[in-house]
Amino acid sequence: MNVLTDRHRERLLGYALIAPVAMFLGALVAYPFLSAIYLSLTEKTVGYPAHFVGLRNYEALLESGRFRIVAWNSAAFTVGSIVVKLVIGMAMALALHNVVRGNQFIRGILLLPWVIPTVVIALTWKWLMDLFRGLINVALIDVGAVRSGVHWLGDPTLAMASVITANVWRGFPFFGVSFLAAMQTVPQELYDAAAVDGAGSWEKFWRITLPSIKGVVAVVTLLSTIVTLNDFNIVYIMTRGGPGAATHIFATYSYELGIMSQRWGLAMAASMASLPLVALLIVAVVRYLHREEE
Amino acid sequence: MRGATLARWAVLALILAIVFVPMYWIVATSFKTGRQILLSESVYVPRPFTVDNYVYLFEESRFALWIRNSAITAIASTLLSLAIGTAGAYSLTRLSFPGRRTFGAIVLITYLVPPDRTFIGLGYTNSLGTLILAYPTFLVPFVTWLLMGFFRSIPRELEEAALVDGATRLQAMVRVVLPLAAPGLLAAGLFCFTLSWNEFLYALIFIADDSLKTLPVGLSEFVVSDFAFWGQLMAAAALASLPVIVVYIYLHKYMVQGLTAGAVKG
Repeated sequence: MNVLTDRHRERLLGYALIAPVAMFLGALVAYPFLSAIYLSLTEKTVGYPAHFVGLRNYEALLESGRFRIVAWNSAAFTVGSIVVKLVIGMAMALALHNVVRGNQFIRGILLLPWVIPTVVIALTWKWLMDLFRGLINVALIDVGAVRSGVHWLGDPTLAMASVITANVWRGFPFFGVSFLAAMQTVPQELYDAAAVDGAGSWEKFWRITLPSIKGVVAVVTLLSTIVTLNDFNIVYIMTRGGPGAATHIFATYSYELGIMSQRWGLAMAASMASLPLVALLIVAVVRYLHREEE
Repeated sequence: MRGATLARWAVLALILAIVFVPMYWIVATSFKTGRQILLSESVYVPRPFTVDNYVYLFEESRFALWIRNSAITAIASTLLSLAIGTAGAYSLTRLSFPGRRTFGAIVLITYLVPPDRTFIGLGYTNSLGTLILAYPTFLVPFVTWLLMGFFRSIPRELEEAALVDGATRLQAMVRVVLPLAAPGLLAAGLFCFTLSWNEFLYALIFIADDSLKTLPVGLSEFVVSDFAFWGQLMAAAALASLPVIVVYIYLHKYMVQGLTAGAVKG
């Protein structure tokens, strides 16, 4: 058998098997993406064909006060969610680390929020936070913490904290389980050596645990930032961006502009707004993953 | 030392409570009567409890239809993604050809790109077929990436032995590699099913026809004239979560290992 033909055959099979992936990503990811960029440069009104307007949609967004609020809200929603997820996730991992009995079982229960449909989670939190009948207000009144129900979703200041709460509930288990898995790979000898040096638990955490798992912490944080920055479900269902625009974020705002107002050019421009940041985050993840592989 | 153990269990108990309470609230509400909900009676434990909300779902709402639509969409898009992703992952891990690294990078990047809003511009199509094609846009990169890890862990020697015995490359893949990767294929398939079953935005954008809505969209628009509709809604929420929880019980071993390792190393 000829070596050259063998290699040719392998190449051919390689291309044949990757072709469906390539065609799929080309037709259904790249094409809509490029057409969205084009759409963001046009003005389209119902009944007329789209016409090219250059960067006018982007200028209009930058000048719009509402868009500035949306950008600020998206930042608050993302940073707030990630910070709390990091803290609770780390607490969860540390609490479970080295627990032998029931570890699997507890971890299994704690991961449940992560598999339940997000729509269910958002609806459940909306109901938990219901002004008159929600569990949170009823329980707070019962223990005498407040006299009348708190407007969790109706008060502009509280509403952002409330949607962040639902998002954290959904996302922190993934942080915790990932951190825990990373902690379990840290060699016990490091801790033993530190113990000989007289290090306390706090010191061990900062000197050994955190430096050893920082790669996983970075990747999980970056991945979660990408997803949170583009979150739609929780805000859309809990507040529709309200009250006013107090919880409006990029995705709910594009949806409002596109589906509700039929202003497709503007909607797509708003969609693109977070793109540079997402691109940077993706580059960061890819670089981290490559470093880990080496 | 004793103090540290106590603190550890206190933290665990608190976190478990945080996770448990909302889930309990779903189940408790689903067994309440409309009157109990409306008047805030027996808030913590429904006494007496009723299954009327569940009966209502199947007899008077479109719930069964939504389940059917969700099941069709999730199963079809899962199978499609598995077929495409398996071939791609095999090609990227086992065969050498010019451009392989570039393809690998593209797959990783599309895996990281969030399911985005660019589809909003396409408007309603009112067909489950659109969803079946749209979901693989985020499932295919995911399956490919996940399976690349599984394929790498299968020793090349096994395949080479088959080649020496006269099998073609394709035969070696189908008869040797795929059976060994079966747990990986199953895990990837179940992940895909869960992601499709839970998907909301595309289903919201593409489907306007009431009889074609999927479960998450149906739930999000579940407003009946009765003021105390929360009982029915939470019953629906409990049932909608059930399939993915069942899948998860099988999967959670892989979720912990596969996904965390998967997120970090592929």
